[in-house]
Amino acid sequence: MRQGPANIAPANIAATRRLFLCAVAALAFLPAVAARAAHGASPLKVVETTIIDAPPDKVWAVVSDFARADWLPGVSRVEATGDNVPDRARRRLIMADGGVIEELLTKRDAERMMLGLHREGDDVKRLPATNYSALITLRPAENGGTQVEWKARFYRGHPTNDPPPELNDDVAIAAVTALQRAYLAALKAKAEGK
Amino acid sequence: MKLQPVMPALVAGIHAKTMRRVAGIAGKLFALAWMAGTSPAMTGGLFLSVSILSSPASAAEAFVTAQGADSLSIVDLSKMATVATLPIGGKPAGIAVSRDGARAFVTSPEGKFLTVIDAATRKIEKRIPVEGGPLGVAASPDGKRVYVADLYGRRLVEIDLATGAQRSVGVGAMASGVAVAPDARTIVVADRDDNALSLIDAASFSRLATVPVGKHPFGVAIDASSARAYSANVESDDVSVVDLSARKVIATLKCGSRPYTVALAKGRVFVANQHGDSVSVFDAETLAPLETLKVGEYPEGLAASADGARVYVANWFSNELWALDAQTLKVVGKAETGDGPRAFGAFIRDAN
Repeated sequence: MRQGPANIAPANIAATRRLFLCAVAALAFLPAVAARAAHGASPLKVVETTIIDAPPDKVWAVVSDFARADWLPGVSRVEATGDNVPDRARRRLIMADGGVIEELLTKRDAERMMLGLHREGDDVKRLPATNYSALITLRPAENGGTQVEWKARFYRGHPTNDPPPELNDDVAIAAVTALQRAYLAALKAKAEGK
Repeated sequence: MKLQPVMPALVAGIHAKTMRRVAGIAGKLFALAWMAGTSPAMTGGLFLSVSILSSPASAAEAFVTAQGADSLSIVDLSKMATVATLPIGGKPAGIAVSRDGARAFVTSPEGKFLTVIDAATRKIEKRIPVEGGPLGVAASPDGKRVYVADLYGRRLVEIDLATGAQRSVGVGAMASGVAVAPDARTIVVADRDDNALSLIDAASFSRLATVPVGKHPFGVAIDASSARAYSANVESDDVSVVDLSARKVIATLKCGSRPYTVALAKGRVFVANQHGDSVSVFDAETLAPLETLKVGEYPEGLAASADGARVYVANWFSNELWALDAQTLKVVGKAETGDGPRAFGAFIRDAN
């Protein structure tokens, strides 16, 4: 989405900002109504883990700030609404390539250090999978570090049986595995301050 | 509003007559009593075996489709442990144990077949091809017919188990959950992408009505008096309560996030919320919310024991089956299952 004009009089900035945020909020909710594509009968699961050389609290501070996930690979900036409240908070990941990914926060459990999200709307050209959900769990590891588990639930890109080769289960699993490994590597770099 | 007694009945009540297995347990107890030098051995053994015979949980099992593992996990519910794993293939999802506990029917939507299992011997009897995407499944109360929802074909398939004959009736888009009323007269199908339930007359196998419900109904259940149907509506986060004779929604219950399945026990309505990692509980008469129980990750299949004492929930992400006490609403046990448990249907084989 396009930014407002740069040469706004100072008095109007607050109002423009409110208008802009309202527009963002409206846009964030609109596609959610239509974008939940049909999917088939067999959800797929990918589980990836990594060890981060930083304490769980520090890693949780990064993971749990759903609204500020600009550390995710390929993301240039994030537009967020809903104050990190599950089932209300949404974020639009504005990608460096110009694309947009929308996600809903589904779970944020600080006690158990678990964060859940659901990707709203599918773009099989970007990710050859549909109805992507993730559950991220942090656990204490040795030497004060953190084990991060990133689990995904999704369906293959083709919504019914007999998928074409480019949208079958194997392609979806490979793509999600690569995505989650990249996410974990980026999280590790961010949390370790590298 | 008429108050209906809601007895424990998910898709169908299950009354296994597995005397052989019970006799086996009694025999073991005799041996135990003898080894322990209990005296008088006969009286003590007999007393003990009678008390075990009256305990419904002792030999009950859960038949849990583990879709990721391509298999069926059979969980001994007295031990809360997986005691057998049957390779199924074709990404098994739907399950229906016959009311008498003799057979289990498993759908494989990717393999396009229904597997018929001898539940006592845990042997696969046969595979029946079903075109499209067989998903939801339910058995007739007499165990002679099986109803399979074809997710992609806008139809419900009836299979006559004696002859193998199949016939279809048209239903809505993305037909998912199936339930047969205990009086055997009505079959209910969740037409997921039509936001409606199809009511099918079992005798004529024709569609009587469609009832608009919440958004994306998936799991369905019918109460013991065959008066009401319940649908878990994934995208509107609620449950529709449908009066089957009036053929309309009489109440809508707000649940947790992404309700997937419904089960009935102890005059209560239980709903598994996928994103909520929880089970919502309502009073079936007043429809008042009672409790929200935290369960494992991404709960899916939900079913009650025939006596209604327990409700079991399959947790897809964490590969567990959890046991809930339907009266106290406490978690009373956990069992590990194969990967990706769906257990979509009447998956409990009771000991009664």
